[in-house]
Amino acid sequence: MKAVILAAAPSDKLQPFTETRAKPMIRVAGRTILDYTIAHLKSAGVTEVVVVVNHLRETIEKQIGHGHQYGLSIEYIHQPQPDGIGGALLRCKEAMNGSPFLLIYGDVLVTGNPYPRVMEQFQEMGGAVAAVTLPRRSGEFGNVYLDPDMRITRLVEKPTDPHLANYVLAGVFLLPSEVFSLLEAQGGDMEQVFQELIGKKQLNATLWDGEWLDITRPWHILEANRMLMDQWENASVHHTVRMENNVHLEGPVHIGSHVVIGAGSVIKGPCYIGHGSYIGSSTLIREYTSLGPDSVVGYGTELKNCVLFGRSVLGRLSFIGDSVIGEDVHLGTGVCTVNFQKGVDDLSVKLAEGPMKTGMAKLGAMIGDHVSIGARHVLEPGSRIRARFQAPDLVTIPTEPW
Amino acid sequence: MCGISGVVGEGNVIPVLFESIRNLEYRGYDSCGMAVLGGNDIAVRKNTGGVDEVNQKERLTALQGSAGISHTRWATHGRVTAANAHPHLSYDGRFAVVHNGIINNYQELKTLLKAQGVEFQSETDTEVVAHLLANAYLEFGTVEDALRAVLKQLDGTYALAVISPHQPDHIYAVRGGSPLVLGLSPQRNFAASDVNAFLPFTRKAVYLEDGEMAVLTPQGYTLSRLADGALVTRPPQMIEWDAETSRKGGYSHYMLKEIFDQPHTLTNALHIPRVEIAALAQSIQQARSTTLMGVGTTYFVGLLGQYAFSQLAGVLVQVISSDEFPEVAVVGPGDLVVAVSQSGETYDTRSAVELAKTSGARTAAIVNVMGSTLSRLVDQVIMQGSGPEICVVSTKAALSQMLVLVRTALELGLANGRLTPQAHNAWLADLDAFPDQLQKTLNEMSGFVRNLAEKTAHFQNWLFMGRGIYYPMAMEAALKMKEVTYLHVEGIPAGFLKHGTLALVDEHFATLAFFPPKAATRLHQQTLAAVEEVKARSGPVFGIYQENDHEAAQILDGGIALPVLPAGVAPLMSLVVAQLFSYFAALKLGRAIDKPRNLAKSVTVG
Repeated sequence: MKAVILAAAPSDKLQPFTETRAKPMIRVAGRTILDYTIAHLKSAGVTEVVVVVNHLRETIEKQIGHGHQYGLSIEYIHQPQPDGIGGALLRCKEAMNGSPFLLIYGDVLVTGNPYPRVMEQFQEMGGAVAAVTLPRRSGEFGNVYLDPDMRITRLVEKPTDPHLANYVLAGVFLLPSEVFSLLEAQGGDMEQVFQELIGKKQLNATLWDGEWLDITRPWHILEANRMLMDQWENASVHHTVRMENNVHLEGPVHIGSHVVIGAGSVIKGPCYIGHGSYIGSSTLIREYTSLGPDSVVGYGTELKNCVLFGRSVLGRLSFIGDSVIGEDVHLGTGVCTVNFQKGVDDLSVKLAEGPMKTGMAKLGAMIGDHVSIGARHVLEPGSRIRARFQAPDLVTIPTEPW
Repeated sequence: MCGISGVVGEGNVIPVLFESIRNLEYRGYDSCGMAVLGGNDIAVRKNTGGVDEVNQKERLTALQGSAGISHTRWATHGRVTAANAHPHLSYDGRFAVVHNGIINNYQELKTLLKAQGVEFQSETDTEVVAHLLANAYLEFGTVEDALRAVLKQLDGTYALAVISPHQPDHIYAVRGGSPLVLGLSPQRNFAASDVNAFLPFTRKAVYLEDGEMAVLTPQGYTLSRLADGALVTRPPQMIEWDAETSRKGGYSHYMLKEIFDQPHTLTNALHIPRVEIAALAQSIQQARSTTLMGVGTTYFVGLLGQYAFSQLAGVLVQVISSDEFPEVAVVGPGDLVVAVSQSGETYDTRSAVELAKTSGARTAAIVNVMGSTLSRLVDQVIMQGSGPEICVVSTKAALSQMLVLVRTALELGLANGRLTPQAHNAWLADLDAFPDQLQKTLNEMSGFVRNLAEKTAHFQNWLFMGRGIYYPMAMEAALKMKEVTYLHVEGIPAGFLKHGTLALVDEHFATLAFFPPKAATRLHQQTLAAVEEVKARSGPVFGIYQENDHEAAQILDGGIALPVLPAGVAPLMSLVVAQLFSYFAALKLGRAIDKPRNLAKSVTVG
């Protein structure tokens, strides 16, 4: 079986992180979204994967390569124009070589492996198959109507009616090769192809009842992190890890190779600490923290419900809560994220078009890749720090000339 | 739906064939049979009952041979009898056929064959295929050509498997609209309705397409198109999934599949011929007294029936739980006992019906499994036609039984003058519209129901309450919820609250209230008052109500707002929502949804 993963589109909504990386390269619970997808494909028996790329394609190709690490072959196809899913697919026609294939949206995260079920449904029912799921918020997705035999009878994209809570398209399909001729006939419009299949009762659904998340806003990274970590039942510590006196670990904690943890630190799972990281003395790393590889956390710092992509340095005596921090970020001594506002249980963020509710009672800062913030800064709730932003130390008593 | 399986291989394949048909039993289980090629003959053994039961009766596993076919049946047309069970033999005994599907033109073919002097052993459509094969073989001289010729005469849908001593060690399998898949292994090859038949033996499969024929031998197979005989090459594929998931047709659990099947099964229940329903109504009208009887879910089905008969026909019927029937029932000649059972094998209900018969009462039953003990025992039976129900927790079967009772109450009301023909027709129109409304609601509300179930999953104790006809709904919903979540869930008529149950309420004790439509003013006020009583004791209250019911929306801590529906179908809709709520709660709690601990599908012991 072959698979096409859509990873070309830029995503402004996910800034600052998509300023410097393709969307599927966002890291959650220690691994990139694309890494989860490809690993699931491998274990479902997929042998050939085509990733459709454009926006910051080098960030994908450099890390994922040609698939040797996964045991399958990965090819990249360039989609230079934003001509939608249809345009992406038409470019893959030759590579699919007349066989049925999986189509996967690159920004979807699930718990468990949905692909075998989709393949099974394809065999049993024939025709095209779409995985459908029940999200927390149905309004943002393609809502479907099902008949008792699991055929999709209607598709409503992003309905505005708040009284609907349908199953939605989960961004995982198995399509027969005939879809290419339909697509050509419809001028490359994939939604029209779906509508045509639905009209002919040829789009079957398979229910995905595992957790499912489409990451569209930066704070969804925290939700995704929590979703994946909630599945963890075991802890693991690599044999090369060095822990000094009185390190306290509890819950499902995963610690990679060559990590050093200083004396008196407390780590409360679920937590992930990537390989090569250094955790200073007397730090407190609380639930749902994910530290990417080669992170450095200074003495006495507290982390809580946050995702760090890796290679970042957090100065001593800092507090980072409910925040996402990109790669190669330097935060000076005593940087503090403020993660709630008294009396507000649904924090808003400031967008250019106006405030937007996040659904989160606590939310810290979203800090892009390669940011450097000097000592003693305080970041307001729901703040966004663009990639490569620089702020000097906050010095209250400047030195006079000597 | 039926299941077929065929195996050909080295040595004796019968144990493998038996296991394969047993793995297909979920596709239907009212009768079963097996045909085996041995020497120059075909041995056929078949009877009514599930696969294990037929094996006990007929000793299927004592057969021996290197090629055999088998069938497990779920009757839709034709009675459940040993003669109607598959396989069917041709008049010369040289062809055995198993079939899943329907031959539309079998009557005319049957007439032609009869004119030639062929004697039919069964009432099935399948038997014509066997006889036609015997005829065609005389003309064409090979099994394969005979089969091609016969298929040209058939109009309908089918998956067929055929064996014949004319061609030992061969199985012929064709697909024309019903599923068929080959399973391949070095020791033996399979043809079956689905991969479950052979997954324990091989994961290498080739799916047939419509209009294709496969010829299997112990060494391999050929695949060809029926139309022109052209060979088809299709590389086999490895089946990656496990047997249990592949039976669920895209659903993750049978329970959800069966909940979503209800628009379809309700339509079947609406299509039960009116004469059958009217005949039951007439029996009730003529009886000195009528007792509805069931146990567990079917008792609550009966309880709903009690309200329906009273409100639609002005007739008060008794409802007695089957297990208590012998202790309390006083019935005799002139009385009617109506039993409700999905399986028709429930021990308590069966023995109660036997007792009623001995006492001289007339008996009737609403049953899902055709040919079941209960359906043969009673004087009058209504087959509800809900298809196999696999999940131990009954959903679709119960809802259809309720619909059958409501239809019966309508006929009774019309017959005894309680309902005008206009009112009767208006009711029927409401019922006819219900399957589509249900389909729509299942689609549009699933997300809300799941969110509510997840939000409330931490409560260990529940009270489900309703008044009037919502009382049986609350009782049945509470049973669903406790079966599938293992939580403490108590169903009560809301009026009971202040007579004791209120003592349980505190902030950890959740309540689910079943609201009647606002139009039912008195019931609605009473339900609101009951909710107020719980709230006054800090009890969290959730509810299932109609979207125009702002009072309910305001007072509740959460709930599901349903579209406004006619009074006749609104209670049934709230029950379906409660089924779904139980399902999502159990999913959140990680329960064994389709086979809850300590429970069995059909309780056939006392």
